[in-house]
Amino acid sequence: MVTPAHFIALAVILFVIGAVGVLVRRNAIVVFMCVELMLNAANLAFVTFARMHGNLDGQIIAFFVMVVAAAEVVVGLAILTSIFRARRSASVDDANLMKY
Amino acid sequence: MGHYVPILILAALATVFAVFSIIAGALAGPKRWNRAKLESYECGIEPTRQPAGIRFPVKYYLTAMLFIIFDIEIIFLYPWAVYFDKLGVFGLVEMVTFIATVLVAYVYVWRRGGLEWD
Amino acid sequence: MTGSVAAITHTIAAPSIEWSLLSPLVLVFAAATVGVLVEAFAPRDLRRALHIAISLGGLAGAFVLTIVVAHSHIFAGGKPGVVAAVGAVAVDKPTLFIQGTILVLAFVSVLLIAESSHDAFAAQAAAVPGSAAEREGLLAGLTHTEVYPLTLFSVGGMLLFPAANDLLTMFIALEVLSLPLYLLCGLARRRRLLSQEAAMKYFLLGAFSSAFFLFGVAMLYGYSGSVQLAAIATAAQSGVGSATLLYAGIALLGIGLLFKIGAIPFANWKPDVYQGSPTPVTALMASCTLVSAFGALLRVFYVAFGQLTWDWRPVMWGVAILTMLVGSIVAITQTDVKRLLAYSSIAQAGYVLTGVIAANTAGLSGSMFYLAAYGIATIGAFAIVTLVRDQTGEAAHLSSWAGLGKRSPLVAGLFALFLITFAGIPLTSGFTSKFAVFRAAIQGGALPLVIIGVISSAILAFPYVRVIVLMFFSDPAPDGPVVVRPSGFTSAAVAVGAAATLVLGIIPQPLLNIANHAASHLFVR
Repeated sequence: MVTPAHFIALAVILFVIGAVGVLVRRNAIVVFMCVELMLNAANLAFVTFARMHGNLDGQIIAFFVMVVAAAEVVVGLAILTSIFRARRSASVDDANLMKY
Repeated sequence: MGHYVPILILAALATVFAVFSIIAGALAGPKRWNRAKLESYECGIEPTRQPAGIRFPVKYYLTAMLFIIFDIEIIFLYPWAVYFDKLGVFGLVEMVTFIATVLVAYVYVWRRGGLEWD
Repeated sequence: MTGSVAAITHTIAAPSIEWSLLSPLVLVFAAATVGVLVEAFAPRDLRRALHIAISLGGLAGAFVLTIVVAHSHIFAGGKPGVVAAVGAVAVDKPTLFIQGTILVLAFVSVLLIAESSHDAFAAQAAAVPGSAAEREGLLAGLTHTEVYPLTLFSVGGMLLFPAANDLLTMFIALEVLSLPLYLLCGLARRRRLLSQEAAMKYFLLGAFSSAFFLFGVAMLYGYSGSVQLAAIATAAQSGVGSATLLYAGIALLGIGLLFKIGAIPFANWKPDVYQGSPTPVTALMASCTLVSAFGALLRVFYVAFGQLTWDWRPVMWGVAILTMLVGSIVAITQTDVKRLLAYSSIAQAGYVLTGVIAANTAGLSGSMFYLAAYGIATIGAFAIVTLVRDQTGEAAHLSSWAGLGKRSPLVAGLFALFLITFAGIPLTSGFTSKFAVFRAAIQGGALPLVIIGVISSAILAFPYVRVIVLMFFSDPAPDGPVVVRPSGFTSAAVAVGAAATLVLGIIPQPLLNIANHAASHLFVR
């Protein structure tokens, strides 16, 4: 029997995978994909909670999060492609001009 | 549950049609194999093997990003459309305002050459 | 928004929006939209003048509207304010004070952005640094006038962020303020690799932190079944529901907000981003973003978690102590003037946190006064940074500032004034504002925090004094930087910063009275 609690557990697992990915992966694109995974984990939690509480707020929030995520993709990829074209590398380790 | 019966019927019909088409095509169609037919389809161009890690021109990203951002805005039309009659004039005015602001962004992209593929 | 959805599921209550109360916000967003149309249709040589008129006009108009709203009927009879737009936006006096502060600071920042004698922004951000396309753009005299609408969109988000009465609106506002800033960071005309790197770091870490914020919102929604701050407070007071969800929500939301403020475990972006960004954008971030983020933090922790003060206070103590000490100690080792100001900004965020921790009206008014005074001084300091230049652009390294006081006593003197106010020396605004937050913290029972704050201020004075000594008592290098003659815009920004620093230091009472009055009813719920 799959209960809403299982979905919350899955959301937490996805969120943690995303967070760990951001911290350990070196490619900026992959780091960014991990952030998107975290946003989608939050979406799953919202939709599940909406089901548990029996109101629609969580579903509407999920819409807004999707739009925000798309806007983030557009801004983020623009920044990342401009960096990539300047350096031929998308590694966050290569972005090290500012070390004190 | 009763609301979902038409959807289930539609899904079943679609599945049956897809499965039937594939099986019927495989059984009834003539089978004359040749080399060109087995190659991957690339609009008539000779397929060439490309090195791993091939990079696309940045134009693809620009187009893809523009598509994503305008496409995703449509999401807000769905809840509004569902309750269109109940939200009345207020909802209509809000939605027109929303689309007008999206249109401003579109006009910017269009005027600054974001839609040109040169 | 959420209220309307809840209503739809049962019967339709016609939603309504109080446009008159939201007019400052709407005006800023409308100005930004008009700015986009200017980009689309106006001829290139007209754009800059149009943008400056629209931006400054929009911000000034929004400030006037904010004052009109502050004197409107909603506060008649000592009422704390109202919740507008179906529960999405709170209109109360602390919010209006914070919004007014943001608008003034944004106005002065736009003056810096508008400086034309030494353009801070890239000719073509899409051209690869060092390429032929970049040189062509520079020769053609191009510049990115998109900077103005981006700034206005960001300022609109900053106005909404502290006013958001539900967490969804707050999340949207957070993104609306952040996304244009990410782009603005990457638009520097010189040292472009550094600037792009700053944009990437800010973007990745900012997106990371907003994901934490969002998951925190999800947890609190799961806890209370609503994202309204008041509903969360009610649920927390009644004590029903899973405490795990509540505390996870508070922690995750706190991480998101503390990141934007730049409190210590989450501040590693600040020096890099401040250093790499175009200096006018750094000024905008160091002033307006800080004020806005503190406004949101104050609202969330006073309204939604107001009943749980004993739960979040110990953690906040730790964050504040770390922020004050690490910020001031690391500032000593800095050799780049923008990084020095960045670490100084981190330490200052720690001082404001002591006002937040006080969790009383004095803490609220002290924090708001501090933010206004610090914001205007920090814009002035960054304005001076844009003026001291050598062949490569701004002379960022502190060693090249040696002997500046002998070459241009006025500029060096004004910079010394801003450093003195950051150090909190009496007769400057820095002293008054530190006094206000520390007094509130003592009232709120946080004496040890105040002692650490005073120690941190003493440590922080050291790098400032070193810079002042360097400017006035060393000999200038023969090929050292020169101070460029600014146009009226930058001069005005510096003058406003310096005047505000002195006035708020010598006669702070008028603004303090406004802050006290604004804070007297706390936030509306």
